[in-house]
Amino acid sequence: MERLKSLRPGPVPLAILSGLVIGALMLLVSGDNPLVAYREIVEGAFAPRNWRNTLSWAIPLVGMSLAAAIPLRGGMVNLGGDGQIVIGGFVAAVVPIYLADAVPLPGFLLAAIAILCAMLASGLWAALAALGETRLGIPMLISSLLLSYPAIGLTSWATGFPLRDTSTGLTQTRPVPPGAELPELFGPVTMGLVLLTIVVAAVIYVDRRTVPGYELRMRGLNRRFAEYGGVRTERQALGAMFASGAIAGLVGAIVVLEVHHRFQNGALVSPSYTWSGLMAALLAGGNPARAVLAGFFFAALQTGGFAMQREIQVPRVLSMVLQAIIILFVSLRYGVGGGRGPKDRP
Amino acid sequence: MQWELETIGVTKRFGPVTANEGVDLRVKKGEVHAVMGENGAGKSTLMSMLYGLLQPDDGEILIAGRQVHFTSALDAIGHGLGMVHQAFQLFEELTVWENIVMGAEPARRGFLDRRRAIASVAGLAERYDLKVDVTQRVRDLSVGIRQRVEILKALYRDAQILILDEPTAVLTPQERDGLFAVIRALRDDGRTILFVTHKLHEVMEITDSVTVLRQGRVTERMATKESTPEAIITAMTGRSVSLDVAKGPATPGEIVLQVAGLTVGQGPKPAVADVSITVRAGEIVGIAGVAGNGQSELIEAIAGLRPGSGRVTLKGRDIASLRVAERREAGLAYIPEDRAATGTAAGATAAETLLMGRQGDAALSRGGLLNLPAISERARRLIAQNDIRISSERAKVGTLSGGNLQKVVIARELDHEAPLLIAEQPTRGVDVGAIEAIHARIVAERDAGRAVLLVSAEMSEVLGLSDRILVMYEGRILAELPASEATEAQLGLLMAGRTGEAA
Amino acid sequence: MNMLNAYTVNATIGGMTPILLAALAGVLCGRVAVFNIALEGKILIGAFFAIVGSYFTGSALGGVLCGVLATMLFSTILAYGVTRFRGDSIVLCIGMNLLASGLTAYLLRQIFGQAGVFSDPAIAEVDRIVIPAINTIPWLGWIFSRQTPITYLSWLLVIVVAIVLFRTPLGLRMRGIGQNPEAATTLGIDVGRTRRWTVIAAGALCGLAGAQLSIGTVGIFAEGMSAGRGWIAVVAVMLARDNPIWAAAVCLLFAIADTFSVQLQAQGLPNQLTDAVPYVITLVALVIGALRGRRRRMAPV
Ligand SMILES: Nc1ncnc2c1ncn2[C@@H]1O[C@H](COP(=O)(O)OP(=O)(O)O)[C@@H](O)[C@H]1O
Ligand SMILES: [Mg+2]
Repeated sequence: MERLKSLRPGPVPLAILSGLVIGALMLLVSGDNPLVAYREIVEGAFAPRNWRNTLSWAIPLVGMSLAAAIPLRGGMVNLGGDGQIVIGGFVAAVVPIYLADAVPLPGFLLAAIAILCAMLASGLWAALAALGETRLGIPMLISSLLLSYPAIGLTSWATGFPLRDTSTGLTQTRPVPPGAELPELFGPVTMGLVLLTIVVAAVIYVDRRTVPGYELRMRGLNRRFAEYGGVRTERQALGAMFASGAIAGLVGAIVVLEVHHRFQNGALVSPSYTWSGLMAALLAGGNPARAVLAGFFFAALQTGGFAMQREIQVPRVLSMVLQAIIILFVSLRYGVGGGRGPKDRP
Repeated sequence: MQWELETIGVTKRFGPVTANEGVDLRVKKGEVHAVMGENGAGKSTLMSMLYGLLQPDDGEILIAGRQVHFTSALDAIGHGLGMVHQAFQLFEELTVWENIVMGAEPARRGFLDRRRAIASVAGLAERYDLKVDVTQRVRDLSVGIRQRVEILKALYRDAQILILDEPTAVLTPQERDGLFAVIRALRDDGRTILFVTHKLHEVMEITDSVTVLRQGRVTERMATKESTPEAIITAMTGRSVSLDVAKGPATPGEIVLQVAGLTVGQGPKPAVADVSITVRAGEIVGIAGVAGNGQSELIEAIAGLRPGSGRVTLKGRDIASLRVAERREAGLAYIPEDRAATGTAAGATAAETLLMGRQGDAALSRGGLLNLPAISERARRLIAQNDIRISSERAKVGTLSGGNLQKVVIARELDHEAPLLIAEQPTRGVDVGAIEAIHARIVAERDAGRAVLLVSAEMSEVLGLSDRILVMYEGRILAELPASEATEAQLGLLMAGRTGEAA
Repeated sequence: MNMLNAYTVNATIGGMTPILLAALAGVLCGRVAVFNIALEGKILIGAFFAIVGSYFTGSALGGVLCGVLATMLFSTILAYGVTRFRGDSIVLCIGMNLLASGLTAYLLRQIFGQAGVFSDPAIAEVDRIVIPAINTIPWLGWIFSRQTPITYLSWLLVIVVAIVLFRTPLGLRMRGIGQNPEAATTLGIDVGRTRRWTVIAAGALCGLAGAQLSIGTVGIFAEGMSAGRGWIAVVAVMLARDNPIWAAAVCLLFAIADTFSVQLQAQGLPNQLTDAVPYVITLVALVIGALRGRRRRMAPV
C-alpha cells in the first residue's frame, strides 16, 4: 500500500499551465493583476542583476530535489529531508569549530572534513529509516518523517544551550574558524555550486551508466521483477536512503559554510527546501536530471516570489501554492493508463 | 423463438486489441450452455459484459427478448444474472455469510441483521447441498469450498442465469464431479447456466449446447450431442492440432538439481513439506498438481526468492544459503509463472528487461559500469533470434501481447544457457501457435543436455513434455511416475490426493 | 491535588482531541483502502477556516461549521483524485499537505493582512462545558468536565465509527472494499462513490479536529499550527490497524506521553527537547508495535 504506483507523470507542461491558471484566478479574486504578478516573478528570477540571488536559492533547492529523487527512482519516499539537512548543517558547523580548537589545520581541510562528516551523519540518519522498514516493517514514509523531529529538537537544544554563541542574542553556534568557509570563486560561481554540480553529474552518471543505477530504476518500475533478477532490495533501500541523506547533509553543509558561516536554529528548515525539493522530484517522476531542472524551476518561482512581494505586495507564499497545485495536477496523471497490473490472473 | 439470453453483434475493444467482435450468443432457458475458446479468445470479456462489469462498444444484449443496458453489476443482478469469476472474488478476512450478503444485506433499523443473514445463507446452502460453515472466515477455506461460496453468492441474489467462468480450472476431478452435480440440480431447478471452459471433455459431459469463440468471434454454434470433439477443436483453433509434443526419448545424465527435505512455511500445514526432488541433465521433470498446492512456493524457494529449510544442491554445490543472484550465477535459469508481475516490468525497455539477472556478467558490465553498446547489441540479437515483435530494443515492453512478452522472458532465460531451467506455467495465456513453439524450445533445451524442471497446472502439458512426473498435493510430493506410464485418469486421482486408487 | 497537574491533564485531554478525530478519519479511509497521509494538511485547513468562520460570523458554531465545510471541500481533491483520476494517494497527499500550508499562509495575509500568527478579539472561541455533577470531583472533574463540545463529540464518534464499521451494511461494504475492491464491484457496490464519500466524511472529522485546535484551544491561528499532529494520527491508525477503538486507545497513550513531556518541561527541561518527545514516543511505539506484530497480529479486524 505504501508503494508508489508506477511513476509515469503525464504532460508536465499541462500541469504547470493549470497551476498558473489557478494562481491567476486566485490573484484576480484578491484584486491583483496576474499578468503583472507573473511578470514580477519572471523578472525577479531572471533579470541579470537577480541571477546571483536565484542561484544561491537554487543551490539548496536543487540539492534537495536530487536528494528526494534518488529514493523516488526506486519507488521509495524520503520525507525526512528536514532532519537530514539540519543534521548536516549542524555537523558541518560544530566539527570545524571544535576540531580547530584541538588541532591546527588549514581552513580548506577543515571544510572538507566538515562536509564529509556532515554527509556521513545525515546519510546514516536517513539509513535508519530504511533499516526500520527492512528490519521491522515500519513504513519508511512515516519513519523518515518522524525521525526529523528529534533531529531538529536535538540540534535546536544544542545550539540553544551547550553550544550557544553567548555573544549574540540569537540561537546559533559560534562562527566556523576563518578559512573553513566555502569561498566564492568568480562571479556568481561559488564552491557550493561547484560541489553540487559534481554531485549532480555523479548521480546522473550512476543512474544511467551503472549497475546500481539500473537496478534502482528497475526496482522503481517493478520491485518483484528486481528481486527475481537477483537485486538485493533491502541493501538497496539502505544505500538509496544513505545517498539521499548524504546529499541532504551536503546541502546543509554548503548553506552553513557558504552563507551563514555558523549553524542558526531554524535557518535550514524554514525556507522549506525539503518540501520544494520533494515536489520537484515528484514533478520529475524521480528522474534525477529532470529533478534538477524542476528544482531550478521552483527556485526561480520562489526567488521571483520575493520580488513580487517586494514590488506589488502579493505574498510570496503564492509560489508555494503554485508548486502544490502543479504537483496535484501531475499526480492526477500518475497511473492513468499506465502500468496496469495483471488483472485476469487465475 | 424466445431466447432467455441473447447478444446481437456485441463488440468490445481494449485499445488496439479487439476482444469481442460481432458476437451473437443465443441461450435457451433451462439449458447448460458452453462457451468455449482458447485462452485469450474473449470469453471472460463477453461474460463481463453480460454481467455489467464492462460495457459493449457496439451491439445489443437481450434478456427474455427485452434489450438491456447494464452500467454496473447491480443492474445485471437486478435482471437475474449471477457470475462466478475465473479468479474468485472473495473477501479473505470476512466470514462466509458476510461474503455472501455483501451488497444485499438484511438489515433491521439500519443495522446489519446478523441472525437473519446467517439463517438465510445457511438455509440456502442446505437446499442446494452446498456444504459450508457459514461463520468461518474465507481465508481458512479450501478452493473447492470457496467456489461453493461463490455459487451461493449468486443464488442468494436468486440468479436465474448463472455464469461460471472456467469453474473447473482450480478443482480436482472429484471436486469437479461435485460441481457438475450442483450444475445439474440448478438446471433441474429451471435456471440457465453459462459454462465457460476450454476443456473439451467437460463440454461433452455436462452441456446442452455450445458456442465456440476464436479470436473474439463466434466460429461455431450447435447442440452438444450433434457436435464432435474434432469439430469443436477445429472451431477453437482454426486447424486440427495435435497437442502431442514431438520428442525423442530422454538420455538422462548426471544429477543437476537435488532438493532434499525442503520445507517452506511453518505450522502443521507448511506450504511445502519435506520435498525431495532430483533432476538430471537431459531430462524434463514435470510437477503436476492443482494450482495452490505449494508448487509456486517450492519453485520460489529453489530460486532463492523465499526462505525455506532443507538442502538444495546444483551440480553438487550447496546453494541453499545463496542469494538469488548467486544461484543464477551458479547455473539456474527461471521462467516465472507470472510474466507481467515477476518476469518483466511494464515501464522498462526491451533492452533493460532482457538484461535483468545478467547485469553482473563480465560481457555486459565491468566494475559496476554498464557496457551499453554490448547490452543493446545483445538485446537486438535476442529480439531477432526469438522473433519478438517489437519496434526496437529501446521500446517499452508494457505494450507487448502476452505471447510476445513471454518470448522476451524465455529469450532472456534461455540465453543464460544455465544447466538448470525452471519453467513455471510456461504457456499460460499464450496462443496455440506460440505454445507449440515454446514446447519445442523446452524439448530442445533438454536435448542440449540441460535439466528442466517444469511446473504446470495443464495436465496435457505435463503429460506431453515430461520424462518423469511428480504429483504435488498439499505441499508434498505424493507420487512419482514415468511419463510413459502415466494416464490422465491416474494423474487426476493423484492430483486429488488419492494414492490408493491410482496405484 | 496539584493545580498545575490538573490544568495539564485537562489541557492534554483537550489537546488529544484533534489527533483522535484525525485518527478516526484515517481509520475510515484505511478501511476503504485509501492511504490518507493528508491528515496534517486537512487539520490545518480546518483550523484556519474555523478562525475565518468564527471571525466573520462572531459565533463559535459558525467557525466550526466553516472549518468542517472547508475541509470537506478540500478533501474532494483526494476523493476524486484517487477514484475518478486514478492518482497515487501518496503523491496527492504530499501535494495536499503543501497546498494546505501554502494556502493558509497566503490567505492569512490576504484576508487578515497578518503573517505568522493571527489573533483578534472578534474570534469567538468554543465554550467549555462544565458538568456540575462531576465538576468538583478531583481529577475526574478536570478530565471529564470543562472540555469543549468537540471533545465530547470526538469520544462519541469513536463509538459511532465503530458501530458503523462493524454493525451496519455500509460498514460491511466499506470493509469489503478495503479488502478487495474488485470483488466489491462484482457485487454491484459502487467502489468509487463509497471511497469518495468516505474520504469526504473523513474530511469533516479533520475539519472538527482543526476547529478544536484553533478556536477550541487558543483562539488564534498560527502558520503550520497542526505541527505534526496529523502524522501522529497516521501512526495511530497504523498501530491500531484501522480499528477505531484501538486508535482511541493509542491516542490516549500518546496523550499520557504528552502530559509526561509537559511535566518534564515544568521540571525545567528545555522545550526544544520536550517538543520532540511525542514524536520519539511515537517512534518507540512503532518499533514496539512492529516487534509485537512480527509475532502475532495486533488488533483483530
Ligand atoms: N482489461 C483489459 N485491458 C486490455 N486488454 C484486455 C483486458 N481484458 C482482456 N483483454 C484482452 O482481450 C483478449 C480476450 O481476453 P479474455 O476475455 O480474458 O479471454 P479468455 O477469457 O477467453 O481467456 C485478450 O487478448 C486479453 O489480453
Ligand atoms: Mg478468461
